[in-house]
Amino acid sequence: MLEHEVEALVADRYLDALLAAVERHALDAPADVGLDPHLREAARALRRSLVRVHPSFRFEERLAGRLAGLAAAQSTPALASASRGRLIEFPAAPASLDADPLLGAILRGDLDPTDADAIERAARAPGARRPLIVGGAITSAALSIVGVAYVAWRASRPAASAAIGIPGGLA
Amino acid sequence: MAGPVFGRRARPEEASVVVLDRDRASVEAARRDPSRFDALYRKYLAQVYAFALYELGDHHAAEDATEKVFLRALAALPRFRDLARPQDGPEASTFRVWLFRIARNVVANERRANRRRPTASLDVVLGAGLAIPDTTDVEAEAVTRDEATAALRALRALPDDRRRALVLRFVDEMSTAEIAAILDRSEGAVRVLIHRALGSVAKELGRDRGDSTDRTS
Repeated sequence: MLEHEVEALVADRYLDALLAAVERHALDAPADVGLDPHLREAARALRRSLVRVHPSFRFEERLAGRLAGLAAAQSTPALASASRGRLIEFPAAPASLDADPLLGAILRGDLDPTDADAIERAARAPGARRPLIVGGAITSAALSIVGVAYVAWRASRPAASAAIGIPGGLA
Repeated sequence: MAGPVFGRRARPEEASVVVLDRDRASVEAARRDPSRFDALYRKYLAQVYAFALYELGDHHAAEDATEKVFLRALAALPRFRDLARPQDGPEASTFRVWLFRIARNVVANERRANRRRPTASLDVVLGAGLAIPDTTDVEAEAVTRDEATAALRALRALPDDRRRALVLRFVDEMSTAEIAAILDRSEGAVRVLIHRALGSVAKELGRDRGDSTDRTS
């Protein structure tokens, strides 16, 4: 074993002891004499400073709700069909599918979320942004329909409403 | 990772009754009924969120990443394979390693996507959560705050792999073996990585104190 590997092993054993000392509410743990005191001090400073931060209760419950929705959908025949490559019934599609564009592929088993290369390729693929595009298209279509309805409504009441709306109207 | 229980090596016939993964029962329950995934979610939420927060330096980004991690984990749970070995000991959790491999990928993608977006200083982001002891000694509290700020600054200055290894070691209190499995490295490589990271932090902290002593880097 090389010298730096031995030093790394000594530091690793000290970290094991230091982190275990937290459970005993101890501030420090015994260290090998070969451990550099500066490293020991740095480890103690990190142990004091790097605290585990909990997310907000609101976030925790919101995500719990989303997971429950996905879990319920996973249990339904509709999503089970989706995993075999069939169409998903619209009402059964959980909102979580919109939150993560790769989730559908993971549900179908086409994508392994632990595979770094596959995830990176999928995230960079143009299709990964499809939900946003679909959302935008739906919004555009909805705005267009509203626009057409408004024009039709205006066309059905030409003169009277114009005269009321503009004092001293055009007529 | 823990060795044999109480220093006693299990005989082959005993190996079959050793609990290999402390989450095995919860994972099996969630596989049968996905709504039971909630227990695993509650258990690991803070760990995953803290990892994402230290990596991304932004509460909202950390929440988004945490959401993706758990949704992906639930979606892929039917394909999770428990690979705990008897020598991993009773505290081993391959589910945790699997979950953090998902988290590593989510966070890496978020960091790539946000590279051009400026992020707040981590000590500011974590300001409310710093480990300040309950004390009326204002001077001692100030020293602790200064130390925490300096430690977080030193952490931020580290290369990605060193910072990630330190966060997993100190914040999530993982063993070298678990970190090695998450980062796709050997245990020896992770030990050296952490040793070098500690050297860099020691150097930064010494610089903050005006200490000119040369240290390992």
